[in-house]
Amino acid sequence: MDTLARLENVSKIFPRVHRPGERLRAFASILTGSEPSDGAKVLSDINLEVFRGQSLGIIGENGAGKSTLLKVLTGVIQPTAGKVTLNAKVAPLLELGAGFQPEFSGLDNVRMKAAILGLDWDELKHKLDDILAFADIGEYIHEPVKHYSSGMVVRLGFAVVTAANPELLITDEVLAVGDESFQKKCIRWMSGFLERGGTLLMVSHSMYHVQRLCHRAIWLHNGSVRRSGDVEQVTQDYLAWHEQRSVAEKKQRAAVSGNDGHYRVAAVDLEGAADQDAELPVIEDQLRAEVGLYSPDGRMPVCLVGIERADGTPIYGISSDTDHICGAQYGEHQFRFRVEFSVSRLLPGRYHFKVHAMDPEAIRVCDTHDLSFQVRGKSEEFGLVRLPYRWLTSEEDASD
Amino acid sequence: MIHFLPQRKNLVFFKNLLLRQIRQDYLENLTGFAWLIIQPLVLLAVYAFVFSKIFQARIPESGGVTFLPYLAVAFWPWAAFSESIIRASGSISGNSALIGKVAFAAELLPLASVSATFLMNAAGYLAVLVVLTLIGAPVHWLTLPLVIVLMLFWWLLAAAIALVVSTLQVFVKDVAQILPPMMTFWFFTTPIVYSAEVFPERISWLMNLNPAAWFVGWFRKLLLWGEWPSQWPILLVPVVIGIAFWLALRFFRRFAGHFEDFL
Repeated sequence: MDTLARLENVSKIFPRVHRPGERLRAFASILTGSEPSDGAKVLSDINLEVFRGQSLGIIGENGAGKSTLLKVLTGVIQPTAGKVTLNAKVAPLLELGAGFQPEFSGLDNVRMKAAILGLDWDELKHKLDDILAFADIGEYIHEPVKHYSSGMVVRLGFAVVTAANPELLITDEVLAVGDESFQKKCIRWMSGFLERGGTLLMVSHSMYHVQRLCHRAIWLHNGSVRRSGDVEQVTQDYLAWHEQRSVAEKKQRAAVSGNDGHYRVAAVDLEGAADQDAELPVIEDQLRAEVGLYSPDGRMPVCLVGIERADGTPIYGISSDTDHICGAQYGEHQFRFRVEFSVSRLLPGRYHFKVHAMDPEAIRVCDTHDLSFQVRGKSEEFGLVRLPYRWLTSEEDASD
Repeated sequence: MIHFLPQRKNLVFFKNLLLRQIRQDYLENLTGFAWLIIQPLVLLAVYAFVFSKIFQARIPESGGVTFLPYLAVAFWPWAAFSESIIRASGSISGNSALIGKVAFAAELLPLASVSATFLMNAAGYLAVLVVLTLIGAPVHWLTLPLVIVLMLFWWLLAAAIALVVSTLQVFVKDVAQILPPMMTFWFFTTPIVYSAEVFPERISWLMNLNPAAWFVGWFRKLLLWGEWPSQWPILLVPVVIGIAFWLALRFFRRFAGHFEDFL
């Protein structure tokens, strides 16, 4: 396969540079080519390859080293160890304003940026109108960039990149800025770019964008690759890890405060799974669940149940307290609640069924438990749920 | 590996930087383009007054050359040299918006800064030479081609020094304060406002190691006396300055990928 970029055993240590002595030591270590004696190790032993036509997403927590990785890859900073190979016409869009100098006019910065991206004067002359049209900032182009809004800066930066006609586009969460209509323009351009055979390397916290635009993904954790491979696999592992971590945090909190944790979720069973062999229970129309809650003092806990999307977005939830429902008591400490949801309106995808045990006063969530399930099917719709709708015909419009 | 052959895209970028630098440093001043010619002439008038009327300065060599052209012919190349190094020393720290955001050949920043200063001063130098001719000083215009060739090496030396000091300034911020007095010291140890013959015999060999003294001497000999330089250093110039530039570029590139850590 055609490799556009390759990192081999790349590490990066940021030396300490606050006091003059530290700066001098760092200076000496670069001069002699040795590793800095102390500093922050941001990347350790990274190996990755980007293949033509196989867009790569980089995900991970804040501070995992994603942006540093992109900077090393694009050659903005040198790695402390390891080798970087680039085999493509690259256009980096690393951050807001990507290398614009605030004192100079927009036009001036466009010229400079285009030159850095490898456009010569003739090409730029041809494409300047396109760039200005894409950026759509009008007469502001003659003003210094420091007077621009952040949206205008991004628009201009992106416009130059579109003109450079790159093979590999490297972006760092840039699409999040800019107004709605510009974002759409970017997405449209990006889709066209991918269709024309372009390759994308993106850092993003939006699993939706990563899954939609990338084929493969890398999960960076504390500066090393935790997982890499197929985008679905990696993003799901990443989300699952987040989930576990937040559960672990909650458990920890509960253990510390001591008073919580009395009321527990003892058991959750999903009924109605259509395909028993599937990796996750497949729910078709009705989700039926039986929830067992444990109460240390024999008082009835409040049961809170609901459904959320795989990324944690809540969709719908109810509580036994507000609905004045009593669970069936078994023995001294066990209560059982049964509930049935109609999930036929959910769009295909992965969901969590979430159960919380609350104290009888419904003030504190004492325990949480969730089960994943999936809704299968094909859908051309967007969002989470189906809402009843109809298209209005033009006659109806006219009568309004 | 050091690549000397510039890539096409680097040339375009360099041209951009150079034009921007010239505009920023010279043409966008309130006073505009005219100052480019007026300023050196005003300066020349001041020097003429101070040195020939107040200090009554005289030069040992004669041949119809008075003090004013003697000073002027050496002073402008020095001004270009010194000003270009001081300006370029901040070219890395002053462009932190570019460094660390986009990948490009960072050495183009100090090189463009030095080149812009040299180009602008060359315009002033020409104006000065014209005025000197008009007031009757014996300017040998025929030697101009060799002067230009030497000027290119003079520029290359300034570029080499600029590469080193602009790197150092990233790591040691005090360079911005130390550099101007050092250049002043260099100015006074170079025979510019005086003649090299005033050096005592004991230290004249030491003074002859100063490359600025070579160049100043050659510019004078060529332009004022029309004599072709015969001293041995002129053969060494391409070699010595070439090596100096090569080392400076290696030094610079060694650090270029780490600038962002320190800015």
